[in-house]
Amino acid sequence: MKAEDIFKDLELKFENLKVKGNTLPRYKAEVQPDKLEEAIIKFKSNGFNHFVALSCIDWIKDEKFELVYHLFSYEEKEDVFLSIFLPRNEPKYKTLRHLFPQIETYEREIHEMFGVEFEGNDRLGEFILEDWDNMPPMRKDFDTVKYGKEKYESVPLINEGGEKE
Amino acid sequence: MKEFELFVGPQHPGITGNFMYHLWVDGDTIVKAEAHPGYLHRGFEKLMERRTWQMNVALIPRICVPEPDVNEAVYAMGVESLMDWDIPERAKYIRTIVLEMARISSHLLTIGGYAGAIGLYTVGQWTVGDRDYLLDLFEQLTGARVYHIFIFPGGVRWDLPDGFLRKLEKVLNYLEGRLEFYDKLLFANEVFFRRAPDVGVVPKDKAIEWGVTGPNLRACGYDYDVRKVDPYAAYPDLDFEIPHYPKFGDFDVLGHGCDCYSRMIVRRLEIEQSIKILRQVIKKIPEGPHTLKLPNPLAWKVPAGYAYARVESSKGEYGYFVVSDGGKMPYRVHVRGPSYTHGINVTETIAKGLNIADFSQTIFSLDVCAPDIER
Repeated sequence: MKAEDIFKDLELKFENLKVKGNTLPRYKAEVQPDKLEEAIIKFKSNGFNHFVALSCIDWIKDEKFELVYHLFSYEEKEDVFLSIFLPRNEPKYKTLRHLFPQIETYEREIHEMFGVEFEGNDRLGEFILEDWDNMPPMRKDFDTVKYGKEKYESVPLINEGGEKE
Repeated sequence: MKEFELFVGPQHPGITGNFMYHLWVDGDTIVKAEAHPGYLHRGFEKLMERRTWQMNVALIPRICVPEPDVNEAVYAMGVESLMDWDIPERAKYIRTIVLEMARISSHLLTIGGYAGAIGLYTVGQWTVGDRDYLLDLFEQLTGARVYHIFIFPGGVRWDLPDGFLRKLEKVLNYLEGRLEFYDKLLFANEVFFRRAPDVGVVPKDKAIEWGVTGPNLRACGYDYDVRKVDPYAAYPDLDFEIPHYPKFGDFDVLGHGCDCYSRMIVRRLEIEQSIKILRQVIKKIPEGPHTLKLPNPLAWKVPAGYAYARVESSKGEYGYFVVSDGGKMPYRVHVRGPSYTHGINVTETIAKGLNIADFSQTIFSLDVCAPDIER
């Protein structure tokens, strides 16, 4: 079943992403968080059974996190991006690892790097970072330079009072 | 017998990079496996948000050491999608040369590594030695041996040097002659026949759902390849086959697919196909400019939007999800590496029931590349 028809069934508005280099069409649609699971199940049962990736984007100006669930169909040869928006001050969503097992790993990483909570995933916790004691580092307001200076002994720059050689 | 814990990695000859598997073992059978990344995290995705569109080209090849060029290609394709650029034909062909050379050199490393995991150490020495001829070509073409920083948004950095195609042809002839020796040493070796078939099996009906891509998926009997499914560069103009189980040509079909044996045979056959592709490129490459005229790198803004580009790397589907807010730097770039699924979920699941001695050959045959798991 073509992605356009599934979008019509689900009453979702979609946009076409620009494609150069590759050739297949890519569709992106915004979904309400409570409708997402149903939408992914619908796509999965209609041939979109390759879960490519789950990406998180920190839209700090809008105070939102965007989660993009990316599916691909080898039969129809189409890409579908379903995105949901979560409030930035309390980002919480449910786990969807029962649909595709690799979602679990993406959720673990997004939990660690962006601080999004996924209810029902019992493997959240330390994944890539170890003994991390600051805000999740992939958030836009995390200042890497400041963190580096506070955490590790650093030699001050000349314009910050450091010595000339 | 009581279970005991075994750590494979982060420094271990049977691991494919700085990466660790924590195994729970009963006798010599694995009952549980957990992947532990974190030894290589360099924060590329964060760094990319603080560099201009052009500066990133010098950063991203470092994400994947054995095959850095795929990063440059997907990044360039992502930026070109947002900029709405059509690159010159010649640039597409030069990209194909770079990507196929990278595929051969990466497969040579994998074959060498895999052979080491089943105790055939000579193969690794030969393949690494032969890979050097490709690195010499890369050096002549790009000025660097490992990180080439050659594929730019809009085309490639410069045109082919004089006599490059003639040298490439020579190296291809040499490599083709060498395949026979690898066959004698590994692919027609009794050790390989006895140890590889039906070991480390990914269930065929689950393979796509688990996110298995590339040679690992083709070893399960699917003929899916991004070069054919979602073609890019010059691949639509070229004639090549997709080796997959059970179409192994002169090689015996042992085992039932989805196993170490099929995965390695697919890789071995892909080298032949890459040589075939490169020979066609040498004949067909058109004249013309090698790049578009690029904007001023310091004032280069990319229109706001989302783009996803994918290529077929030697390990599977490699993609970049590029998001721009219309600024001079990317707003967010998410790297979809093939090893993210192969190295964590797939390995954790299929490791159960494996013999300890077969664990290393399984992860080598899956070609798990730690750097693209944690970026």
